Amino acid sequence: MSSKDFVNEAVIKWCTGCGLNSMFYSTCAVLDELKLKNTVIVSGIGCSGRAASYFNLDTIHSMHGRAIPTAAGVKTANPKLNVVVFSGDGDLLSIGGNHLLHAARRNDNITVICNSNEVFGMTGGQASPTTRKGGITLTTPEGNTANKINIQPIVTSNEKYFYARTTPAHPEHLTKCLTEAMEHQGFAFVEVINPCYVNFGRRNNISTPKEILTYLRTTFNISASTRLAENQLGIIKNA
Amino acid sequence: MKNLITGNEAITKGLIKSGLKFFSAYPITPSSQILHSLIKSKVTHIIAEDEIAAINMVIGASLAGSKAATATSGPGFSLKQESIGYAFKTNTPLVIVNAQRVGPSTGMPTYSSQGDILAVKHGSHGDYVNIVFYPNSVEECYRYSIEAMNAAEESLSPVILLTDGMLSMMTESVDLKGIKVEIKKRDFKPLGKEKRKISGLLTKDNLPCTTEPKVYQEWYAERKAQILNTSKKYEFYEYSGNKKSDTLLIAYGTTSRVISELKNEYAIFRPIRLFPIISKLKTIAESYKKIVVIEMNDSQYQGELQSFLHRELQSITQLGGELSLNKIKNELKRLC
Repeated sequence: MSSKDFVNEAVIKWCTGCGLNSMFYSTCAVLDELKLKNTVIVSGIGCSGRAASYFNLDTIHSMHGRAIPTAAGVKTANPKLNVVVFSGDGDLLSIGGNHLLHAARRNDNITVICNSNEVFGMTGGQASPTTRKGGITLTTPEGNTANKINIQPIVTSNEKYFYARTTPAHPEHLTKCLTEAMEHQGFAFVEVINPCYVNFGRRNNISTPKEILTYLRTTFNISASTRLAENQLGIIKNA
Repeated sequence: MKNLITGNEAITKGLIKSGLKFFSAYPITPSSQILHSLIKSKVTHIIAEDEIAAINMVIGASLAGSKAATATSGPGFSLKQESIGYAFKTNTPLVIVNAQRVGPSTGMPTYSSQGDILAVKHGSHGDYVNIVFYPNSVEECYRYSIEAMNAAEESLSPVILLTDGMLSMMTESVDLKGIKVEIKKRDFKPLGKEKRKISGLLTKDNLPCTTEPKVYQEWYAERKAQILNTSKKYEFYEYSGNKKSDTLLIAYGTTSRVISELKNEYAIFRPIRLFPIISKLKTIAESYKKIVVIEMNDSQYQGELQSFLHRELQSITQLGGELSLNKIKNELKRLC
């Protein structure tokens, strides 16, 4: 086996330079490293949701917002499977937000990888739950007046939890987060900060993949803290 | 041996008998009792955070290899509509019990109603066909729960078992052991062994294919035929002809129970499989000058039958939880 065995190479259609590519290939590498051939990928709808057909595994491209309950059903019906949700912030935190609260509370034994790209990308760039305050989008032309959602306290308010924050610009850390999340017994949430350069970046002066990488590298620092500040990346868990 | 049980308990036992391995639901009267009984059984379950979660957990569990079901009432059923289309698209077998109550909205909880007849047939978006059963006794709740699961497994689609508040909560003395129904085995490989791409998107050769009308047309024709052909094995109805009468009464579920005592005066047709509409009805209808559909809604099934039979039918409606044989008799006198 190699990580390539997990990839359905012929069909990948994400924008060149989008961090989703790194997230996807890193996930494949981790599945290979941990020998998790018995993995079922569940995705939702949107750019990230397209991931389901990119994995060379049994996959479910589920309804918009419903990847988490679908994955919970798969895992509960067959606990031997390694069940991974791969989706975006619009899908997991907006329309599917309620499911996140309760999967974390129940400590469903699944791994959720969330592409926090600050917009609904596939629909053209409307504000999403992770759009920064002041961010310009199709639906916030004067700047977003709301704060971005803060997932860390939502996930970690439970008795047992796993929350990691990382970016595609920190590849080793990204791999570490994905590895620990897959190894974690219980609900694991990996938030990957990855602004969409096409539908968010071009309206907010970070319009190329290179600018996005620079922005991520200069803004975020890896921390060992048990409570991550807004500009910190890290893993906080209680198994 | 006979035991006193409710319609909901009979459904629970029927689902378990049918091989149910996973159940998820959100509390809603008058279906909650199914949830209460199932959590005491060996069936794996999750108490869902909401109605949409419940059916999507059922979809995941079914694809992962378990016969699976959920139960709800009208307001919850509305929330499950998108998932019904998804299950149709993805060939996912599952059973949804809908114990109807008076709507729209919270309506009159939990007075009995048959107000979801159109919702169960047409509520999801896009084109789809589905199989819908509606028993009228506690014994039948047991029998048709098993048949619903069988039909779901055989057609690889979401099958709906309708009841109403009265039928779900009604207690009757029945001998369940005396009811023999063959159980259909699960017939497709669970997830985790292949490289299948289950998707709500139109697909071709296991890949998304969203720009070719011909691919859609061929897929839809095949899928529709698959469900219609399977449904032929489930042609459940009751018909009591009456040569003295030129009028055929059509009723289903609890309403059919109440009007059964009119069988000496009228012919009565009772569909147990509401959808697809029983094709034999076309021949039966030819013998009657007048057809009256009696239902606890504003003529929902009557409308469906009119377009099915291509003729005008009379309607008697019982609304707001009321079901009165006297009122039905008076209406019949006026109409016939």
